[in-house]
Amino acid sequence: MSAVFTHSDKRVGLDELASHVKDGDLLAVGGGLSSREPMALLRAVIRAGRQRLQVVGSAHGIDIDLLCGAGVVAKSLESYVGFEQDFGMAPNYRRACESGAVEVADSCCYTVVQQLRAAAYGVPFLPVRSVRGTGFQGMHPEYLPMKCPFTGDDLLLVPALQPDVALIHAQYGDSHGNLRIEGPPVADLLSARAAKKVIATVERIVSNDELQALGGANVPYFHVAAIAEVEMGAHPTACYPFYAYDRPHTALYYQAAKAGADVFRASYLAPYVLDCLDHADYLERIGGVATRSRLSSWRDGPQAWQELYAEANA
Amino acid sequence: MTGTCTLGEAMIYTLARTIEDGTLVFHGFGSPLVQLAMHVAKRTHAPDMALVAGATYGLNPRPPFLTPTSNDWALDRGAECALDIEQLFDLGASGRIGRMFLSGVQIDRWGNANVTRLGRDQLDIKLPGGGGGCNLSCDVDHLTLWTTAHRSQPDRHGKRRYRLVEQCDFITNLGHRTADRRERAQLGHRGMGPQWLVTELGLFDFDPRGLLRLRALYPDTSIDDVAQSTGFELVVADDLHPLVLPSPEIVAMIRALDPLGVHVKELQPHDRERRFAVVPAPNPLQVEVMQ
Repeated sequence: MSAVFTHSDKRVGLDELASHVKDGDLLAVGGGLSSREPMALLRAVIRAGRQRLQVVGSAHGIDIDLLCGAGVVAKSLESYVGFEQDFGMAPNYRRACESGAVEVADSCCYTVVQQLRAAAYGVPFLPVRSVRGTGFQGMHPEYLPMKCPFTGDDLLLVPALQPDVALIHAQYGDSHGNLRIEGPPVADLLSARAAKKVIATVERIVSNDELQALGGANVPYFHVAAIAEVEMGAHPTACYPFYAYDRPHTALYYQAAKAGADVFRASYLAPYVLDCLDHADYLERIGGVATRSRLSSWRDGPQAWQELYAEANA
Repeated sequence: MTGTCTLGEAMIYTLARTIEDGTLVFHGFGSPLVQLAMHVAKRTHAPDMALVAGATYGLNPRPPFLTPTSNDWALDRGAECALDIEQLFDLGASGRIGRMFLSGVQIDRWGNANVTRLGRDQLDIKLPGGGGGCNLSCDVDHLTLWTTAHRSQPDRHGKRRYRLVEQCDFITNLGHRTADRRERAQLGHRGMGPQWLVTELGLFDFDPRGLLRLRALYPDTSIDDVAQSTGFELVVADDLHPLVLPSPEIVAMIRALDPLGVHVKELQPHDRERRFAVVPAPNPLQVEVMQ
C-alpha cells in the first residue's frame, strides 16, 4: 500500500526528518556517484543510531560506503559502490561485504528500474529479457523464468521492490513538499514514485510561486512526508549550481577508509559524523565559508572549474 | 605535425575505431578512455553518432574538460537533451543502443566479464559491481570490451593472477557462452555480444566460435608478451598486424579534450610512459572503422 502525504506544511528539522528512517528499513538513497547524494541526512541517520538498514540503487559511492563504515547496513542491493577511477574501490563497503556484515545481493540498473517500476505501477513483478545466463540468476533465486504467453519469448520476472523510504537531496523545494531536482535526476524521480515515502533535504525552501518560476517541481508533494532546508546538504558530493564535488575532502575520506576500520572510525567517522552536534557544526569542521566559496568557484569559468579537480587538490 | 602518442591515446583511438556512424552509443561511468574515444569519433568519422554520456545521460554534450568522476555537470554541458535512468535503459531493452563499452576485473575467453566478486564458490574479494553492465551486455547490439590491466606479472612464488582468465568467477556481463557453456544465441537475447577487446598489450576480436582472438599488437608488444599474460591458450589471427596509430592531429584533439589528464589514471603506473611514434597522414582526421 502506498500513502499520499497531503498536509500543507512539511518543514521539519534535520533530526526529525531522519527519524522517519526505522531500523531494518529498505532505503533508496538519491543522487549518484559524486553528485547530489543526501549526505547530511545520512549523517543524521547514523547519529540517530539506526541499524540493519538495507540499500538499493544504481551507481553510488561515498553515501553507501559511509553507511557501511558506520556499521548500519545489513544488506546491499546496489548495482555499483565505488569511487570510479578517481580513487577506486569503496573500502568500507568492501570490508563490510567481505566480513559478512553486509549481505551481498548486487543488482543491475535495469533490473532495479523494473523492480521499482513494478512497485510504482502497483503490480507484483515486471519482466526483463536480459540477465538470463549471467551470475545474477544464481545470486537471486527470486527471479523466475517465464515463456511469454503471447510470443513465446524467454523472459525473466523480477519482483516489485518497494523502498520503505527514498532519501533525496534536491536543489529546491517548497513547504508543501514539492521538489525541484536540477540536472541529472539519476533514479530519484522513479524512487519517489516507488517508495512508501520520500524524505527530502533541499538547498533552499522557496514559495510555490518561486518554484514555478524556477521551472516547476518534478517530484509532486504528495510523495513527500517531510522536508528540511539543509544548505550544503549533499557535501562532499556536488549539488550544482550551488557547489561542485569536493575532491580534497573525498580524498581525505578515502585515505581514512582505506587505512582500516579503526582508523576510519577515529579519523573520519568521529570528527565528521558522530561528534558533530548538528549540520552547522559539520560545516564548520569542513572549513566553513572558505570551503563553500571554493566549491562555488566553478561558476567563474572552465579554468576555475578545472582547478577544483587538479591533481594537487586530492 | 609529427611526434609521439601515449599508450592511452593509442587505446582511445582504437576504441574510437570500433564506433559506427549513425548509431546510438553509450559509455558507463568510470571510463575516461571510452568517454574520450566517443568524443573523438563524434568529431571525426561518426558525426551522426548519438552520444549518450554515462551517469549524466546527456545527449551529445560538449564538455569543457573531462572531470575525475562521471556524474558532474561539466560532462553534460552543451547537451542537446537528457535522459533519465528509465529512458536510457528502455533504449537498451528495446534494441536501440548500437554499442556499449564494458570492462572487467576478469574477462574470460568467451568475453564474459566479472566486476562483482572474486571467489567462485564464496566471496573472497568484493568488487564494486557492474552498474547496468549485466542488462546492457544482453540487450545492446555490439559490445567493445577494454582493460588497462591485461599484463600479468608473476608474484614472488612465480604464480600469476590473470585479468584474461579461462573462466570468470562470476559472470556480471554476458559474453558468447554462459558458465555452463550454453551458447549466447540459445538464450534469445537482443544483443550479439562482444565484438572487440582492446587491452594495453593488443587488440582482439572474436573468432566464429566466439573465442577471443589476437588481431593486432602495439609497436612494443609481442605474441609472447600477450601469451604470457593470458590465462588460456592464445588464439592468433592469420592476419595479425601492427595496431594503427592516431595521426598527430587526433593526438592533439585528445589532449585538448582531457587537459587534466584524467584518463592517465586508468592506466597502470608502468604503462604511463609508453610512447609510440606517430606520422602525418594525408587526411589527418579521417578514421577508418575497424572491420
